[in-house]
Order: sequence, then C-alpha cells, then structure tokens
Amino acid sequence: MAGVTFSRVRKEFAGFLAVEGLDLTIEEGEFVSLLGPSGCGKTTTLRMLAGLEFPTSGEIRIGDRLVNDVPPGQRDIAMVFQSYALYPHMTVGRNMEYPLKKRGLPKAERKAKVAKAADMLQLTELLDRKPSQLSGGQQQRVALGRALVRDPQVFLLDEPLSNLDAKLRGYMRAELVELHARLGRTMVYVTHDQLEAMTMSNRIAIMLAGDLQQFAPPQEVYRRPANRFVASFIGTPSMNLIDGQLSRSDAGWHFTSPGLTLPVPALRDSAKAGDACLGVRPEHVHLGHGDLQAKVQLVEQTGHENIVVLDVAGGNRLTGRTPSSQVPQMSEAINYRIDSDQVHVFGPGDTGARLNADG
Amino acid sequence: MMRRLLFNLMVWSAVLIVAFPLFWMVVTSLKPQLELWARPPAFLPIEPTVEHYVTLLQDTNFLVYFRNSIFLSTATTLVVIGVATLGAYSLVRFTYRGRESLAMLVLFTYLLPSVVLILPLYLMMVKLGLANTLFSLVLAYTTFALPYALWLLRSFMAGIPEDLESAALVDGASRMGAFRDVIFPQLLPGIISTALFTFILSWNEYLFALVLVNSDASRPLTTGVMNMLISSFNIEWSLLMAASVMMSVPLIIAFAFLQKYLTRGFGAGAVKG
Repeated sequence: MAGVTFSRVRKEFAGFLAVEGLDLTIEEGEFVSLLGPSGCGKTTTLRMLAGLEFPTSGEIRIGDRLVNDVPPGQRDIAMVFQSYALYPHMTVGRNMEYPLKKRGLPKAERKAKVAKAADMLQLTELLDRKPSQLSGGQQQRVALGRALVRDPQVFLLDEPLSNLDAKLRGYMRAELVELHARLGRTMVYVTHDQLEAMTMSNRIAIMLAGDLQQFAPPQEVYRRPANRFVASFIGTPSMNLIDGQLSRSDAGWHFTSPGLTLPVPALRDSAKAGDACLGVRPEHVHLGHGDLQAKVQLVEQTGHENIVVLDVAGGNRLTGRTPSSQVPQMSEAINYRIDSDQVHVFGPGDTGARLNADG
Repeated sequence: MMRRLLFNLMVWSAVLIVAFPLFWMVVTSLKPQLELWARPPAFLPIEPTVEHYVTLLQDTNFLVYFRNSIFLSTATTLVVIGVATLGAYSLVRFTYRGRESLAMLVLFTYLLPSVVLILPLYLMMVKLGLANTLFSLVLAYTTFALPYALWLLRSFMAGIPEDLESAALVDGASRMGAFRDVIFPQLLPGIISTALFTFILSWNEYLFALVLVNSDASRPLTTGVMNMLISSFNIEWSLLMAASVMMSVPLIIAFAFLQKYLTRGFGAGAVKG
C-alpha cells in the first residue's frame, strides 16, 4: 500500500496552464476526491498520476517512489475511465484478464483472480459476453472489475459514475464506499459532482483553474469553506452569497448590503473594512419569525422540505429552507432571521478568502 | 404498389445495363471462333468451349503477367497499409507542429494529373536503377494510393476512443502492445477496406505500367494482355475476353468476402474525412 504525493506539480499544454504548483499529500488507504468544474485541472492531475500525461515540472511520488518518468504500466495503479474504455473485441472475462496477462501471470492464477473479482461484483454470469451486450451499469462494473483484479497500490477513478442514471449512481456510490472499506486501498476519485465527493471521500481536494482551493474532510469543507468559490461550489441549494460592505465599530464587525445589516462573528486580524461578501447557508435562514422582512419569490417543494427564494429589499435574493409542513405563499411578505453566528465572511473577488476567525 | 413496381423495374433495368457487358464478356470467351461473328449473334454459345482459356494458359505469357499482377498488387497493398496505418496513428494520436498541414500536403499529389508526374517518375526510376522492374511499379503505385489510404485510415483511427489505448497502457501494455492488442483489432475493418481499395487500384492500373515497364518479364496483366492480343491489324476477341474473365475473378472473390467492410469504408470517409 502507498500514499500519493504531489510536490509543486505544474502542467502546461501549449500555452495553456492546466495545473499550477500543486502540492497534495494523499495518505495511505485514503479515499480522496478531486472536485471542481470542468477545465479545473482535476482530470489532468489524475492523468499525470496515471502516467498518461507528464508534469512540466514538480515531483509525483507513489509511496516513496518517484514516478515522474515511470510508464503507466509500471506504476502499480489501476484506472477506471469515464467512458469505461472496455476493449470492445474482448469478452468480459478477457477484458478483466488483460492486465494480468500483461503482467505475465500464469493462466491458472489469472482465471482464479478473474473469477474472484467477478464474484465480488456479480459478473460471473456475464464473463462470456461482449461489452456491447451489457447495460451501462454492467459495463461500469466490468471496468471496476478490470481495475480490481490486479490489486494495485492506488485506484484512479475518472468520473466513473457520470454515465449512469441517478438511481444507479446512488447505488454505485454506496458500492464504491463499501469496496474501499473492504480493500483499504488508496483511491483517487475525480468528479464534478459535489454530492459524490461529499458522500464518499475521506478528504476532498477542490480545484479551480489549475489551482488547489482547499483540501479537507467533507464536513470541514462544508462548515469552513476556504474561500468564496468553495463556498459556492459545495452544498445544494448553494450558499447565499451577498456582496456588501464590512465595517467595524466598538461592538464588533458589521456587514451591510442594501436592505440588510447584520452583526458578524469574530474575524481574523487580517480582515479589513470595505468590500466583502457574506455567505449564509439556506438552513441558517429561518423563515416565519424574526425582525427582517422579505417577499416570497418562489417555493420549491421537494417533499421532505421546501426551498424558498426570498426577494430582499435592494435587489438581493436569499434562499432558505422550511420543513415540509410550513409552505409559504408566493408573493407573501414574510419575516425571517439570519443565524448570525453561522454566517461566513469572504474577502472581495471570486476566490476571496474566508475571514472568519474560526478558520 | 404501382410506384414500387415502377421503382423495381427501373433498378433492374439499370442492373441489366451494367451487367450486360460482363455477361457478354463471359459468353464471348466461351464461343468457338466460328460463332463469334455469326449473324444474328447468338445469346448463348451453341457449342461452348474452353479452348481460349487453354490457349491463354498454355501458349501465352498470361500466367507470367498474372503472377506479376498478384505480386505487384499485394506488395503495393502491404507497403501502403504499413505506411498509412503508422501515418494515420501519428496524425491522430500525437500532437506536433504542422500536423494538419502535413495531412493536407499529402493530398497535393491528386492536384496534378498523373500524365504530368509520370515522366519525372520514370527518370527517377532510371536513376535509381529500377527502370523496367516490378519494384518501380510498386513505388509508383504507392505514390498515388498512399494519400487516399492515409486519409481513409485517419478517419477510422479518429473513431477509436483514446481512452482504449490509455486503458491498455495503464493495464501494463507498451505502446506497441497497446496498438497490437487494442487499436489494431478496432482498426481492422478500416484496414481491410483500405487494403481492398489499394489492391483494386493497383490491379487495374494501366498508364504507369505502360510507361515504366517495357519487358515481358515484368509486365502486369493490364499492359501484358493488351500488348499480346491487340495489334494494329487484329484483335483476338475470344482470347481477350477469356483473359478479362480471368482478370476479374480475383477481384470478384475479394469483393464477395469483404463487401461489408468496403461499404463501411465509404461511410467512414463520408462522415469524418
């Protein structure tokens, strides 16, 4: 078993910077998600770890071994591709056998390992079929099986669930978590779906435009997002972000935006008065009581709760949540309260850093 | 119903028009010399004979030409497929400066009529000491078959997902290994149809063969048969037709077996080329 270390890894494609000075240490046996919007460099990072791309500078280590110049086949990794990349002309069994064959294992041993992996993934019935005869979910399991048979040091998964329908995706998420627990292997998982990252990972590395924004456990990322981008990317519905001014008085820090003035929790020493951004999770906007007023713009009933969009004076909008029993009327004037202990304050700009003193 | 009938009628008349010369070729090759000029001409030979075939095979150079043609077409096909497959792989999988321009430049060969190219080519062959050899024809045919083959294979290659190769590399294959185990089987339909195109092109080629090769020992069927059976004073129709039948046979066999790949080849070129 081995962890993975990126030190100051940079990757440039002809005039385009894909990954910039990435420092990332993944512990042995950890499940880490690389999360970010498309083009953020997460797949490039994974491909560099796989050996399918080579870093322009910096070092990549698997365990203690420097792998910068090691070809993919000799890195002791296995990868599941978004497209599954099953060999169309080979049967399921031969697909799964291929990596073992390339490593020169004797036939009996190959058969035994394939049988074991097939059993684990309920593929035994399908071993003689061609990939084109399988459903999307089955193909996905074969791709997983092909990675599994080798028992590699590190598993790399590149958006493996994105081609499945929602129900199957939920099921496979649970399967993967279970598989990780059973194998105890290091897994690096690329996704743009924050739900997958939140539910499966030990830690999440959030990337934007080639830059690592935050690397922390899911709850940490949710409760103390490092900056405005992370705050907006994690959570559904996403965090309310309101631009305004930060000012300081004897009583402490205050945030002001048209139609909204709010005391905010203790901030860092580096916080300055001036442009800032207030972040409030929808669950911290309490509706039906409080001394602030707004008009109900939209109510979305999801069944177990309602998502309510408020029109606050001054053109701002706030999203709040109510239990399913409390359904506000559209256009109704409603009182609300913001849990000011739970708000986040970010510096100006799209990736303005979080200024709260607890981070 | 009426429209359908009319449509069928039209299609079948088209087929008849196209197929009649072929039918006449076979019939003529089986008619004894006496029936050849009979009036009115008989549709089917009254006393069918294979004497023309026997004459061709026993008393003429036909078999030499045939062997030359087989060698020539096979060698050209092998060279073209070998080079075009690697070239297409390079054009699709590797990024380097001038990749697109290079691919376009290759097509420039087709902008010049072959009549213009043939004399320089002949002089080059003389300088290389290859004049009058089959090998000079292999080289010449390669020059005009390769660009097309390259483009055809390129579009096939582009249709193979890169992930497949990546997967093979991660699974422990070398680049050559990944090519052999994964890319090649996927490319096979493309290779077969390209090979068929190239083979047919070489098999039927006349002009280059006429200019570049002047000895009976290295003449292919096209020029060989013309030279042998058509003189200024006389055309040996029966022998010519028998030779034509035997020239068509290898192609017909190849077509029958590989037809489905060939049509797929046309499709690939149309959509992606």
